[in-house]
Amino acid sequence: MGRYVLRRLLQALGTLLLVMFVLHLLTTVAIQLNGSPAQAFFGDRVASPAQIASVEQRFNLDDPCFDQPGNPCLGPFVERLGQYAQGDLGTNLRGREISGIVAAAAPNTMRLFSVVLVTWLALGMLLGSAAARWRGSFGDHGIRLSSVLIDAFPVFVLLVVYRYVVAVPLNRWSEQTFGENSWPPYWFKPSFDSSHPWATIIVPGILLGLAGSAAFIRLVRASQLESYQGDHVRTARSKGLAERRVVLHHVVRNSSVPVVTAVGLAFVEGLGGAVITEGIMNIYGIGGVLWQAVRDDDVGLVIAVVTLLAAVTVVVMIVVDIAYALLDPRIRYE
Amino acid sequence: MSPAMNAATSPASSDALLEVTDLAVEFRTPDGAVRAVDGLSYRVEAGRTLAIVGESGSGKSVSSLAVMGLLPDTARVTRGTVHLAGTDLLAMSRKEHRARCGDQVAMVFQDALAALNPVHTVGYQLTEALRARRGLSRGDARRRAVELLDMVKVPNAKARIKEYPHQFSGGMRQRVMIASALAMDPDVLIADEPTTALDVTVQAQVLRLLAEIQAERQMGLVLITHDLGVVAGVADDVTVMYAGRAVEQAPVVPLYAAPAHPYTRALLRSIPSASGTGSLPVIPGRPPSPAAMPAGCPFHPRCDAVRDVCRTEVPPPATPAEGRTSACHFAADTMTGPGPDGEPGVVGRDTGGDHE
Repeated sequence: MGRYVLRRLLQALGTLLLVMFVLHLLTTVAIQLNGSPAQAFFGDRVASPAQIASVEQRFNLDDPCFDQPGNPCLGPFVERLGQYAQGDLGTNLRGREISGIVAAAAPNTMRLFSVVLVTWLALGMLLGSAAARWRGSFGDHGIRLSSVLIDAFPVFVLLVVYRYVVAVPLNRWSEQTFGENSWPPYWFKPSFDSSHPWATIIVPGILLGLAGSAAFIRLVRASQLESYQGDHVRTARSKGLAERRVVLHHVVRNSSVPVVTAVGLAFVEGLGGAVITEGIMNIYGIGGVLWQAVRDDDVGLVIAVVTLLAAVTVVVMIVVDIAYALLDPRIRYE
Repeated sequence: MSPAMNAATSPASSDALLEVTDLAVEFRTPDGAVRAVDGLSYRVEAGRTLAIVGESGSGKSVSSLAVMGLLPDTARVTRGTVHLAGTDLLAMSRKEHRARCGDQVAMVFQDALAALNPVHTVGYQLTEALRARRGLSRGDARRRAVELLDMVKVPNAKARIKEYPHQFSGGMRQRVMIASALAMDPDVLIADEPTTALDVTVQAQVLRLLAEIQAERQMGLVLITHDLGVVAGVADDVTVMYAGRAVEQAPVVPLYAAPAHPYTRALLRSIPSASGTGSLPVIPGRPPSPAAMPAGCPFHPRCDAVRDVCRTEVPPPATPAEGRTSACHFAADTMTGPGPDGEPGVVGRDTGGDHE
């Protein structure tokens, strides 16, 4: 088990370095082909060569390799690695510390993700298990139909409908019913409120989770159906165990590996949904920061945020891999 | 233990532990209901072993799943009773039926690798029922698990209860399967082809172990197999099944000496022997599909002694001798006719070992 974890950790570190290097190569090529992004710093104003040079120096763009197409620019890459290793993410084009931006935005994204994850697991496990256990029943058909319906509604449709059609009347109604300073009006606020970060993020999180849960429900159902067919389930029943115990310890438990895989993937894919959700609901989060950085040509910020996301992804994948090993002994002893 | 134990030596007068009467099981298929078991009856007494022999699809496994209440959703029992220690399991609710399983009647499945749960330790699986149903503590369960593994002669039991099924060899895994079925001291054990997935040498060891445990505990044992060669050494009684019916039921010695059904005779002839001349008689044709059962005797298209009456009339159960039944119009003639080593009759000698 120890060796398994160690091997996964080393693989993860390698993956992270590779991601950073590819990212570096891509931006380097972009700079070499399109010219220095330092001009973006000045917006529409025309900057003197001296001003450009000082900006290039400030953002580590003054290395001559950026003018030589095909040069991988290893110097600046190593320099950036050194800075990152010391916890220095640099500054964005406006001179703000990137670590400060991330520290402000990341908690909101984490809040959103935790609500999404809870919604996902709750809906997926409950509905998926119910559909598998009572396969072919009215409930099973109902659950499958609604999962297809949810899939047919993209998350931004759900959010826009919620924000412009449902949220305002609900918010007004709950203010009248429960009073202005109670929790319900905050739950249904049509946009994020940083002084009540949890209350105003629950509903958007649930909606984003709902949108993602459709496929998850079907996956849980399919993997549990496969477990139900297993000989070991028949053995468990032959021992006279109660059906509830058979379902929990021999069906749900045995189908947990594909489910954990899906949770890992969802975490990564959820970022796309987070950009949309954060945009529509005015949540100040990582997705929004990245979106804005791309639009502003803010190379340093883009690289820092993408590196961070890659690191999070790699960590999630390690957690998933370790969860595999804990859940399935056959993987542990490979 | 049940009073039947004392009478184990005189089976005719004893009470059966497990008595299946006129059992019929149907499967729902897209082409309509298909009868997999049709009017099967047998009884198992304490301390005795009943072997149920038949080809794949003869209904031998399905009938035992019906006894255990483990039929798939597409199957249902349409007729018959299964009396376990005097009460009819099939008349019970699903829950009550389930509660008898493991406790009074337990089952050993073939292919222990699939039948054991890959994600739980062997110790957990051995005592899961004891912990969940009898409230054994963790420590007691561990001790009991070691005891059980010792009983089935798995070496180094103390360490091995912490391991997982995939870490065991095939024979050891089947021993674990047997131990887990015995965990609650059942009165009757049903073993469904317990040695099919094993090497021949390991097969013999596992069979010997089953026979020993059965004798020691005076259990009733139902041994399901497609291999008549396996039966000879361990069984007291034999039920030969063909196309969902019991075609012959007899104590083992008379059955081998003088089969009273042409199917049994043909099966006995197709057991390979060390002194064989190289080619093995096979039973021509295939068992009928339950969806397209031939008229008359279901075995008549493959029978080497078929006569006109066989094609039109289902043979009534005959009693060619004391304690024997045979579903053949000519049971008595078959029994007194040429034995298993006699002339092969119309059954052609074939080149291969592709019987089965």
